[in-house]
Amino acid sequence: MAMSKILKIVLAANLAALAVLAFVYPHLMVGPGKLIAGHAALETDCFACHSPFVGATAERCTTCHKPEEIGWLTTLGQPVQKPLTGTPFHQKLLKQDCLACHSDHAGVKRFRVEGRFNHALLQVDARKECQSCHKLPADSLHRQITGNCSQCHTQQKWVPATFDHDKYFVLDRDHNVKCATCHVRNDYSRYTCYGCHEHTPEKIRREHIEEGIRDFKNCVECHRSADEHDIRMPGRGRERGAERNGKNEDD
Amino acid sequence: MTGTASLWRNHILPFTLLVTLLGVATVMGDYLLHRLDLVWVGRYLGIPGTLLILASLLYSLRKRKVIAAGNVKSWLSTHEIGTWLGSLMVLIHAGIHFNAILPWLATIAMGINVISGMVGKMLLGRSREHIQAQREHYQLRGLSKAEVEQAIFWESVTFDAMAKWRKVHIPIFIAFAVLALGHIISILLFWGWR
Repeated sequence: MAMSKILKIVLAANLAALAVLAFVYPHLMVGPGKLIAGHAALETDCFACHSPFVGATAERCTTCHKPEEIGWLTTLGQPVQKPLTGTPFHQKLLKQDCLACHSDHAGVKRFRVEGRFNHALLQVDARKECQSCHKLPADSLHRQITGNCSQCHTQQKWVPATFDHDKYFVLDRDHNVKCATCHVRNDYSRYTCYGCHEHTPEKIRREHIEEGIRDFKNCVECHRSADEHDIRMPGRGRERGAERNGKNEDD
Repeated sequence: MTGTASLWRNHILPFTLLVTLLGVATVMGDYLLHRLDLVWVGRYLGIPGTLLILASLLYSLRKRKVIAAGNVKSWLSTHEIGTWLGSLMVLIHAGIHFNAILPWLATIAMGINVISGMVGKMLLGRSREHIQAQREHYQLRGLSKAEVEQAIFWESVTFDAMAKWRKVHIPIFIAFAVLALGHIISILLFWGWR
């Protein structure tokens, strides 16, 4: 079968015209959707962001978005009027990997999770300084604590905190006190029961020796609440506390 | 009347069903991917679709005797199935989102091409019916059953209507191929490989 010469010419001319249009109007012919408003001036300059056969690269982004100025100044050098984050953090990133969080083109952004922040992108020192970005809550619990956020919070979710004090010790009755009474020097991995006048080392020692108990360093191993009649001894199950003349020993 | 009924039942109805089925399968496939939260699959479905269409072009090479292996009728079936399935994948890949013009021109050209192909299938069936009458003539000449089938097939594809149809089908294919190639090159050029 042979195509007629005219048909070949018409076909070739049309395809050539489309090829020219693809270079003159690339944003319409091949662009996968509109750019964000801030990039509108680049809509016909694909290679402002794209390296051919490589893709958009951080080097192209930082040509206009200087890392030391992100969150502080715009690309025109003007102070940012409405910051998108409470604290600028782009200066504390491990490396400049803009595409880890950012993309463009309406048709591409559909496939990306926008505004996805990962603490693993931060420098190690910055990761530990929670309060450099996050304001301390003003509730009664947090007012007593300074720092050491990671003892109760993970970096995957801020709310809720993954901590239930009842698992360690029930804070009711006389034990509903300030955190620092039992956790000295802001160290919540340790505790002491001698922070108040009720429990002194001598008194505790005497009470336990009388019961034949010589190892009483780790109080919560047996006592999980202020109830002296609910004692769980490892290897011996729950035991009721000794009662003499119907009164608690400490009375 | 009988001839018209036969024309409708044997040729026009199957053609209509094939075209309709392509449209319905496209919509269902798109819906399923969205429903199962597998939209990303559609983004890449253009690749296997294109490969299927390319593979089906081996029929053209066999017809022009560039390759010798295989039965021409089998290759034609492969071409029909490959292009129908490949077009289905490309249509699902296209979806109903309109961004760039070039890929949509390629999709429209593909749609015209695949419908043209199904018209050709219908014409081929019609021409085989006409030529079937010559079977007895060839049998009287002492040819074996297989030789008769092959001879009738070659008569069909060279039938006048098929020749005219080919003058439409091939240029549409060239337009589709060039537009699709332009789309593929632009993707390779701008994809985020790193």
